[in-house]
Amino acid sequence: MHGPSVSWYIVLAGMLFATGAIGVLVRRSPLIILLSVEIMLNGANLALIAFARHFGHEDGQVFAITVMAVAASEVVVGLGLIVAMGRRHVELDVDKLRTLRG
Amino acid sequence: MNAAAWICLATPLGATLAIAIAGNRLSRRAAGYLSTASTMVSFGAAIAALVIMLGESPDARAHTTTSWTWLSAGKYSFGLTLLTDQLSVMMMLIVAGVGSLIVAYSVGYMEGEDEERRYFAYMSLFVFSMLLLVQSGNLLLLLAGWGMVGLSSYLLIGFHQERPSAIAAAKKAFVMNAFGDATMALSLFLLIEHTGQLDFAGVFSSAPHGGTVANLIALGLLGGAVAKSAQIPLHTWLPDAMEGPTPVSALIHAATMVTAGVYLIVRTNPLFEDAPKVQDLAAGLGAATLLMAGLIALVQVDIKRVIAYSTMSQIGYMFVGAGVGAYSAAMFHLMTHAFFKALLFLAAGIVIHALTGEQDIRRMGGLGKALPFTRTAFLIGSLALVGIPPFSGFFSKDAIIAATLTKGTFGYCLFALCLAGSFLTGLYTFRLFFVVFGGEKSSFAQEHLHVPASGSEGPVSMIWTVAVLAVLSAIGGLLQWTQIWHPLETWLDPVAFPTALPSNTQEWVASASAVVLGLAGIWVAHLAYSAKTLKVPRPVKLLEKKFYWDEFYDAIFYKPADLVSRGLGRYFEQPVIGGSIGEVKLGFRIGAGELARAQNGLVRAYALALASGVAVLAVVFLATR
Repeated sequence: MHGPSVSWYIVLAGMLFATGAIGVLVRRSPLIILLSVEIMLNGANLALIAFARHFGHEDGQVFAITVMAVAASEVVVGLGLIVAMGRRHVELDVDKLRTLRG
Repeated sequence: MNAAAWICLATPLGATLAIAIAGNRLSRRAAGYLSTASTMVSFGAAIAALVIMLGESPDARAHTTTSWTWLSAGKYSFGLTLLTDQLSVMMMLIVAGVGSLIVAYSVGYMEGEDEERRYFAYMSLFVFSMLLLVQSGNLLLLLAGWGMVGLSSYLLIGFHQERPSAIAAAKKAFVMNAFGDATMALSLFLLIEHTGQLDFAGVFSSAPHGGTVANLIALGLLGGAVAKSAQIPLHTWLPDAMEGPTPVSALIHAATMVTAGVYLIVRTNPLFEDAPKVQDLAAGLGAATLLMAGLIALVQVDIKRVIAYSTMSQIGYMFVGAGVGAYSAAMFHLMTHAFFKALLFLAAGIVIHALTGEQDIRRMGGLGKALPFTRTAFLIGSLALVGIPPFSGFFSKDAIIAATLTKGTFGYCLFALCLAGSFLTGLYTFRLFFVVFGGEKSSFAQEHLHVPASGSEGPVSMIWTVAVLAVLSAIGGLLQWTQIWHPLETWLDPVAFPTALPSNTQEWVASASAVVLGLAGIWVAHLAYSAKTLKVPRPVKLLEKKFYWDEFYDAIFYKPADLVSRGLGRYFEQPVIGGSIGEVKLGFRIGAGELARAQNGLVRAYALALASGVAVLAVVFLATR
């Protein structure tokens, strides 16, 4: 086993995930929120790969590829929604989209 | 044989379903003819069963057929079983035969009435229910038929659903009958507990002989019989049931419904013979009813109600007969009664029809000249009812009266009551006859009586059915004359062997005294209402109020229940239930308002909630590891 130990990777993955989560919570532009979600997903992916390497097992890698596929589809839908909003001249601000208020 | 039994049972039900499903697609006429045809097919099947049975030896005439297991619970199972034996064939013939005549009569009587289709669907259902009752091979199926008869009577008595009085009468009949159904069900539970089955043969062989249980079983069955047959103390529904159309009254009184109680006692006679006290009670109730109904009938002014009370009285005779053990006499009277009571009702129907719905006999009078055919038919029915030879009632009623003489002191009391009833029967029957048909035309009749120019007194279907019944009432009694020949008794012996066998002397004494008293009643009626030499006393209040039975039930059942429910409504429902419901409602409303504020539509707030929830879970997970 070469290279840094698994804990370094996990710390980095945690930092990436937290960065993404904070981005989702504080930013109001749907585009940035989408980017932040991608960062969170990549954090999770990093953790999966690190554990896969640590345990010498390929399950984690398979999951990482699955996550990438999901992320790609999610971006397609999300960007489609944002383009639709732009076409209708809706302001790109998630706090303005409050039609579902109870 | 079994095929005949099933056809007999199923055709009227088929007609009901066909009329109900076809609805408007079937013309009114067609509905009437369909209903008539179905009951006549039923009658044909009953005749076929009789013919087959006549070719068999007397001991091998009982047939049971089970189509499938109807109900199975634990170790008990009850089949959808039909029993065809001498007794049920006799009842099938009466129910389907007289029933089909009455349905045929209705085709003319109900002409132009709204909702004729509903009427005929109900009529077929009624005949089906009664056939189910008399053909059932076990007591559970009998109870089902019993309940369905109650339901059909409810539907038909309340046929004029726009009249509040009709609805009240229908409800009254249903509730009183439900009481009888309940006591009967209780007695069935006892039978299941003690014998584990409800098939007639099995129950009769293994039911407890004597003792409290046997008494309770017989008492429960008697409760059902008393309610269905309108005997004291559950009789008050019958006169009110006159709210239904006249053919319905005829059906209830002659072919179906009220005869069911007598049938039940005769059918379950082994159970009653195990409880002689209850059997005496049945005879006593019958005797009390026949006297009371005869007295009330003297002062009634509604033509149908007089006949209704006479039914109660005649069913009382049948109860006396079944109670003293003269089963074949009771069944014989049931048959002849079906003929002449149907005749009286249908003849009264012609009168009511001709007077455009008037039923008050004080407004009638002198109708005999305008309606000679009806007058003759009514006269035959009346003579049969009073029991004047050679009309049918003579042979059957006197057989019952003679049978009472075999029962010692109690029997003599019954004998005296029956004879008093004979006198009253002559009096009230001919009071009705003289008031309606005798004398000069009343002013109301002159104004409202309308007889078609053709000379016919009503639609064809009303005339020929009355004619057939008149013939049956006149000669139907010749089927059996106990002193000389008794085919009916021999026929029924394997099913219900009579325990009261009067001697020839007793027969002659009973016949002679009953006829003399009946004639005396007619003579008094003639003096009072036809010759007018005897002054009619003012009606006694006690009789006009029908012995205060309705008021009595009102006071002991309705008023307390009304009081209790009013009290509960005022002191419990409104403050406690009503109040608490208001509080609960308010609580939910406030809670929901608060909760709704959490759903503010801010996506990022939801995300924060999610993230913090995950964080809390993670902390909890780590801390408790």
